[in-house]
Amino acid sequence: MPATSSIPCLVVDDQQTMRSLVRTGLQQLGFRTIHEAADGEDGLRHMLSRPVQLVISDYNMPKLDGLGLLRAIRSHPPIQKTAFIMLTGRADKELVQRAVQFGVNNYLVKPFTVGTLKEKIEAIFGVLT
Amino acid sequence: MDPLAAILETFFQECEEQLAELESGLLAMEGGDTDPEIVNAVFRAVHSIKGGAGAFSLEALIRFAHVFETALDEVRSGRMSPTSDVLKTMLRAADVLADLVRAAQAKEEGEHPNAAALVEELKALSGGAVDTSGSEEDWGDFEFTPSVVAFDAPADAAPVEEVEIQPGVKVTFKPRGDLYAKANEAAILLRELGRIGTIEVELDAHEVPPLQDLDPEAAYLSWTINVTGDVTEDSVREVFEWVDGDCELKVEPLGGAPAPGADAGFDLSALLARVQDDTPAAPPAAIELELEAPLALEPAPAPEPVAPAPVAPAPVVAAAPPPAPALPPAAANEHAADGQGAGSRKAEAGATIRVDLDRVDRLIDLVGELVINQAVLAQRVMEAGLARASAVAMGLDELEQLTREIQDSVMAIRAQPVKSVFQRMPRLVREVAAMTGKPVRLVTEGEGTEVDKTVIERLADPLTHMIRNAIDHGLESPEKRAAAGKPAEGVVKLSAAHRSGRIVIEVSDDGGGINRERVKSIAIEKNLISAEATLSDEEIDNLIFMPGFSTASEVSDISGRGVGMDVVRRSIQALGGRITITSRPGKGSTFTMSLPLTLAVLDGMVVSVEGQTLVAPITAIIETLQPKSEDVHSLGGHARVISIRGGFVPLIDVGMALGYRREPLPATQGVALLIEGEGGSRAALLCDAIQGQRQVVIKSLEANYRQVPGVAAATILGDGRVALILDIDTIVTVSRGDMRKAG
Repeated sequence: MPATSSIPCLVVDDQQTMRSLVRTGLQQLGFRTIHEAADGEDGLRHMLSRPVQLVISDYNMPKLDGLGLLRAIRSHPPIQKTAFIMLTGRADKELVQRAVQFGVNNYLVKPFTVGTLKEKIEAIFGVLT
Repeated sequence: MDPLAAILETFFQECEEQLAELESGLLAMEGGDTDPEIVNAVFRAVHSIKGGAGAFSLEALIRFAHVFETALDEVRSGRMSPTSDVLKTMLRAADVLADLVRAAQAKEEGEHPNAAALVEELKALSGGAVDTSGSEEDWGDFEFTPSVVAFDAPADAAPVEEVEIQPGVKVTFKPRGDLYAKANEAAILLRELGRIGTIEVELDAHEVPPLQDLDPEAAYLSWTINVTGDVTEDSVREVFEWVDGDCELKVEPLGGAPAPGADAGFDLSALLARVQDDTPAAPPAAIELELEAPLALEPAPAPEPVAPAPVAPAPVVAAAPPPAPALPPAAANEHAADGQGAGSRKAEAGATIRVDLDRVDRLIDLVGELVINQAVLAQRVMEAGLARASAVAMGLDELEQLTREIQDSVMAIRAQPVKSVFQRMPRLVREVAAMTGKPVRLVTEGEGTEVDKTVIERLADPLTHMIRNAIDHGLESPEKRAAAGKPAEGVVKLSAAHRSGRIVIEVSDDGGGINRERVKSIAIEKNLISAEATLSDEEIDNLIFMPGFSTASEVSDISGRGVGMDVVRRSIQALGGRITITSRPGKGSTFTMSLPLTLAVLDGMVVSVEGQTLVAPITAIIETLQPKSEDVHSLGGHARVISIRGGFVPLIDVGMALGYRREPLPATQGVALLIEGEGGSRAALLCDAIQGQRQVVIKSLEANYRQVPGVAAATILGDGRVALILDIDTIVTVSRGDMRKAG
């Protein structure tokens, strides 16, 4: 796998606080290219112009929620192989099940630690270098 | 700053926005709005606060937000209907949540007095709904397996060859002028094509000549259309049957590589529409790579042959706009007008950045310097005797224009909608209504009206006081209202609007109006007016602004606190504003405040006194006049009064008041500014001459020198000299004192 620093990511959350927290975590893990978007639509627009390899997206957002974003990504070939981690407010089994149906790679329950974030990403990409 | 501390600060800022959204959403629901997006936005606000609080371990906040969220989820899911009682509890919960956020921000420990009770109420509302904050252990037999991404197939390289090219027909269509002359429409034909298959349209506009060469009756546009799906060449030709001979038409089988620019025709909204329209329960079909010809496109509305728009000679790839983004103007307006909608607010938020206020203020300061500098330069050029038409003078004119525009734009940065202060009022109204036992409805208008941030901040106190007052004193008790044939629920209205370069804010109630008899007797009792005074209704109403009017007998828990309307008036005046009241017996009262849009510049009357240049704020000036000797009367010493239309007002020599001269200027040699000062009292300020009206940039004298009695601030004039801005109230008060001594 490529070096962590070369994996471009996109953080999608309607809360600046959350985006900053995820960004800080990603930076600590060695990610260098981190983009942000404020909702699913914004995120999708971003990905169409600048594809990334990892999306960490909140579920509950205005306009287009996390599931919608996931489905849009999976139905558009140029970006459909993007790794997708769903951020959820609680360990909601039903939500995670639906996300699995639409091809989510992993999920992350808030609040999370940098350790958990690392674990969740490594489960997709293998050990981060 | 430590990154986490910075994020925490962001969190609290966001909390304020979310609390505002929460409250306005709940109020909209209370007003009968059933838009599910509002319920969602309300839920999301609490959910977000909880989420952020979780990241920072703000336990009290998490606990409360969690219970609140659970109750809101009941409403969101439709298990509980948002009745008026439910919403009232939720509004109170929103107030407690706001308090808890502020307590967390201030790092205050300790329990909120109402939190525990509300937690119980919310739990009762949720009816002991299952706490869904479960952990992965509760997932039973469901086991999540993360899916691994293999890097040998890089995610960003789309495997183009996997996309199967579907069979179809390629149509090249070039209308001649005759086609349009026979009232045929290219758009209709394209739309027809869209009915028989999925179409992908490419517009070729390279033949469109420059506008001056354009023949309105000629046809310049042609289209290439790929029709996919179950179509044959014949079915396509049938569509063009009626225009046969009036166009060049080529129909051929589609094959080979996809048309160039096909991907550029991709439209985000179409993808979104597809994702959002599908039922969530749909199987993961979407993951399979069946991509119908990029997307179902609606035919392009054919441009009129005369359309001046496609002048660009390059071929234009016209991906037909799908219906979603092309909101007709009316619909777009409707959306914009729906200011309550959380969606539109979010849209606004998306296009904003947060900037440190100090940076903005520094910029404003620099622009102020720029304005002064430009004025100085202009004056120097004038003095150098350059012709007005000279290149330098013209260039300077342009510079002046630009400088003004920059100044306006920079001021606009500091401007904020009054919403930020208006939105604190619903809570106040709820609290005061509960204390007085009067049902009250607050109506707000013009929340989007913008004014300087400092003005907004300093408006909160006077507005709070006035609204308390309106409910406590303005509105009658429900019984009295019923007797007067009014609905039991009183209405307090708060509105803002821009009017001739100022902001006008009104607080009105539909109560009983001012009890003039009572006001007058109080004023007499307090020695504010003589018992014999004959006052107009308007004058009586305005007595409530007199210092010392606020009476002990009127002090109540709510509007008492020893603060009278005179304090309100003073704080409005300190902002360079005015406040007036109009009242109609039995119908209610309206307080009208007029305030400047910014505190950084001031409209001033530039006057000269003993060779000094001074500036008087125009807002305080009622009129200017040339005193006639027969109107001026001496009261002994240096004290004089001037008769203006039958009334006497003190005539104050500004030169004497500021110590520029020892002997008063003979009144007939000067100009008098009739001004209205604190408490509505009038006086005439005698100056040597008027130089003119000018907008001046306010520079604090205190920050640069020290406070000087009678001087509010300073400014720098075009000639580079410092001019003092008069503090009219102090001059009047001090001179009166002198006069009393003299008398």
